[in-house]
Amino acid sequence: MLLAAGAALAGGLIPGPASASSHREAPLIAADPTVDNTDLYAFVSPDKHDTVTLVANFFGFQEPNGGPNFYPWATDAHYDINIDNDGDAKPDLTYRYVFSTDDRRKNNTFLYNNGEVTSINDENLLFRQNYSIQLMDHHSGKSQYVVQNARVAPSNTGPASMPDYRTLRDQAIAKVYGGGVSYAGPSDDAFFADLRVFDLLYGGNLSEVGQDTLRGYNVNTVALQIPSHMLALKGDAKRNPNIGIWSDTERQSLKLAPGSAKAEGPFVQVSRLGNPLVNEVVSPAGLKDAFNGLTPDKDHTVQALLDRVNVPELPQLIEKIYQIKAPDTPRADLVEIFLTGISKKVGGPINVDLNSQVNNMDVDKNEFVPSEMLRLNMSVMPAAQPNRLGVLGGDTQGFPNGRRLTDDVVDIAVQAMEGAAQSGQLVEALATGDKVDANDVAFEQRFPYVAVPSNAAVNSAVQTKIENKASAFASIPTAAFVGGALGALVLVAGAVWMWRKRPTKARHRNNRPW
Amino acid sequence: MLEPPFLEPETVGLRRWWPVVALLAGIATILSVTVLSARSEPVADAPTNTHVSRQTALAQSVAKLQATLRKLPGDAPAWAQLGSSYVEIARITVDPTYYAKAQGALDRSLTLRPDGNGPALMGMGALANARHEFALARDWGQKAAVAAPHTAEVYGVLADALTQLGDDTGSADAVQKMLDLKPNVSSFTRASYYFEMHGRDDDAQSAMNRALGAAGAPDEIAYSRYYLGELAFNTGRLDEADSQYTQGLAVVPDDPALTEGHAKVLAAQGKADDALKLYRVLVTRAPLPQYILEYAELLDANGRSSRDQYAILAQQQRLLEAQGATDDLTAALVAADHGDKAEALRRAQAEWGRRQSVFVADALAWALHVNGRDAEAAQYAEKAAALGWNNALFAYHRGMIAYSLGQLGDAEKYLDTALRTNPHFSVPHAPTAQKTLTQLRSAR
Repeated sequence: MLLAAGAALAGGLIPGPASASSHREAPLIAADPTVDNTDLYAFVSPDKHDTVTLVANFFGFQEPNGGPNFYPWATDAHYDINIDNDGDAKPDLTYRYVFSTDDRRKNNTFLYNNGEVTSINDENLLFRQNYSIQLMDHHSGKSQYVVQNARVAPSNTGPASMPDYRTLRDQAIAKVYGGGVSYAGPSDDAFFADLRVFDLLYGGNLSEVGQDTLRGYNVNTVALQIPSHMLALKGDAKRNPNIGIWSDTERQSLKLAPGSAKAEGPFVQVSRLGNPLVNEVVSPAGLKDAFNGLTPDKDHTVQALLDRVNVPELPQLIEKIYQIKAPDTPRADLVEIFLTGISKKVGGPINVDLNSQVNNMDVDKNEFVPSEMLRLNMSVMPAAQPNRLGVLGGDTQGFPNGRRLTDDVVDIAVQAMEGAAQSGQLVEALATGDKVDANDVAFEQRFPYVAVPSNAAVNSAVQTKIENKASAFASIPTAAFVGGALGALVLVAGAVWMWRKRPTKARHRNNRPW
Repeated sequence: MLEPPFLEPETVGLRRWWPVVALLAGIATILSVTVLSARSEPVADAPTNTHVSRQTALAQSVAKLQATLRKLPGDAPAWAQLGSSYVEIARITVDPTYYAKAQGALDRSLTLRPDGNGPALMGMGALANARHEFALARDWGQKAAVAAPHTAEVYGVLADALTQLGDDTGSADAVQKMLDLKPNVSSFTRASYYFEMHGRDDDAQSAMNRALGAAGAPDEIAYSRYYLGELAFNTGRLDEADSQYTQGLAVVPDDPALTEGHAKVLAAQGKADDALKLYRVLVTRAPLPQYILEYAELLDANGRSSRDQYAILAQQQRLLEAQGATDDLTAALVAADHGDKAEALRRAQAEWGRRQSVFVADALAWALHVNGRDAEAAQYAEKAAALGWNNALFAYHRGMIAYSLGQLGDAEKYLDTALRTNPHFSVPHAPTAQKTLTQLRSAR
């Protein structure tokens, strides 16, 4: 999720000069929401243990009543999901999504649909998008289309337009050549958190929590379910069960120099996301911007990044305000979580073999390069009773071993920053966390697992109590939701963000406001 | 100097000094959430547009930041963000008192974090640009680039300053850096402007098409549509301009710039009453000097009183200057056409002393011309053409100067160019250009 400075200023760009026509101005922070990575998930599929499901979300804070344009995918960008299975911090496989628009509105109408849409190819659906996935094998240098011209599930334009969205959504599940299934389209934002918790954490008051700031918003989702052996090094998920995953988006630039304004030159990486914890580490904004343009193989060369991992700012702030002693630095435990994966072989304080590629039997430890990415051990089978605190709750299938939709990364992150991963003990004083322990809408039992997108305005969303086994809390005060997506950004703007990536504006980047 | 109370609750858009009913309109804007009226076509769900106006969004953001800063007064990034938000509000509401507030917040941020404070340095650059202190903006922008070399927006601030300063190579470098860090609506639009200023109209169009292609959020789409509309309007393609502005308004119905585009098109189509009605709504909602000037000129052309509008412009200028900002460029042009000619020249010369860009060369040329100093005017008009910009107004100025100098061949050439480029380039001046051109041709 994105927050942030940019978000506050975003919403987009205001056109128009402030003075006479000679001076063309634009808002300070440029949002680019369509290509903004908000979340990445990776988990062994609970109903198909020999497959992995990867979910990448983009373009956050979508107010469901977002007409007439709603929330299209960028057609001038690459959306990439990368896999590093040999631990050299370079992609071994890339699933590259490219979207195209099939706009049947022409100049006759602005309507997304001009009647009820009962199937994904209903003639009433005027604005359509399709996508293809190219699987790039970086070792062989070969690439092939594994999904071609599949239908993107449309934005949910309302209960009368799309009375049975689930049918449309299911029709958008495509087969992947070589094995697996794929979905691209909107979903209810799976991230759940009270984004005010960081602001108030520093305010020394943990009482105003319990409200899922993302309630009611949708996101754009790509979900990919692939047989595990296809992602593993040498195709052997038994010998090499550990993979690293990150998503990135890129767009071609433009050259001013004489010639032309054609799109040319290399694609520029504009957004990147691996581990949801990374945002706290890479704040402040200057480093965050650098990080967004960085490929993982370069992470270990950026001293500022390494310093931020080894000497993180958040524990110091928590100590100042709550007098909870910050763990001693340098934080080798965070280096394990962020940069190497948890393994006995990396010499860190978390002496457990969990998810590092260095544990793959066919990986040479000397070739291993630390980098920031999500790391999943595909041999850890789905837990019968998933614990939202993941590994810290004794559930080794959970975050930071990959990330499931139900993992409470906010609470996990606070605990991890306070040293819980190396001590093996939750920090009691912070144990209740943000009191948002689950998504307001239940996830599904089968692919794509994310919930169908909402069709009701965020303002109208009814607040319901979220039961928390660990603590009983009194009824949550129904907060006055400031209208619209940007209203939610108000709530988070200024807050220190952990775990989320940023965009700028309009539902944008979640970064610490600068 | 009175310490600005920048932690006081904000009532964004409150135009206290205005004699018109802007206050109510402003508050209505802040509080309103735009909803498209239900369409007449049979459709299952009336398309609703809950696009929150930018002003509302900013006001909310400011309120949140203020609350944070009351609790955590040491939060340097929040101060920087508050400062930048104030700059943004100043730009939208044309309320220059926000410059002082922005200054206060940004100063505080820099005091708390004096080294490597990219966001505050960038905010200072944006503030300087907004106050038209372009040399200062360049300096701040360069410091910001050192502190945050991977932040694309820093190069946007620099590019804007360098363009206004007339540093052509410098601004090209900055725009290219911005493109190489973040190719998006913001950087593509700046590239388009660069191309347009250099007479590369096809490239300007391509770049703007790329901007639209990269646009996703409603405001990005509105922004791209506006500048696509402008490119079309400025090259005389009225239908295309109309189409772009209209498509933009379908996405953000109350967008001020798109509304101005629409009003301009109505005027060019001869629908004066409709245009005047729309301008009136526009200037009440978004009192930008450019809009007020266009409204005034249209009133003049239709025999209506424009006195109030010029009074408002003058008042805005005074308030701007009271806040330490200057806009001698605009003031010079307005004065040359509608006010005191001596003042026009004084201001244009003052601005030329500060920066020697094509914008100022053109303004100085025209100011000299209205003061009867055409030989000198011609030299500056030539400087204004140095980049190759196919700018109809510049060509018109150059043509009228040549005409005054008795250089009839040149006069005909430049006036013809002006009208071919955009027959609707100016409500008061296009008719003059046409009359003069007709005269020149019949005299041949």
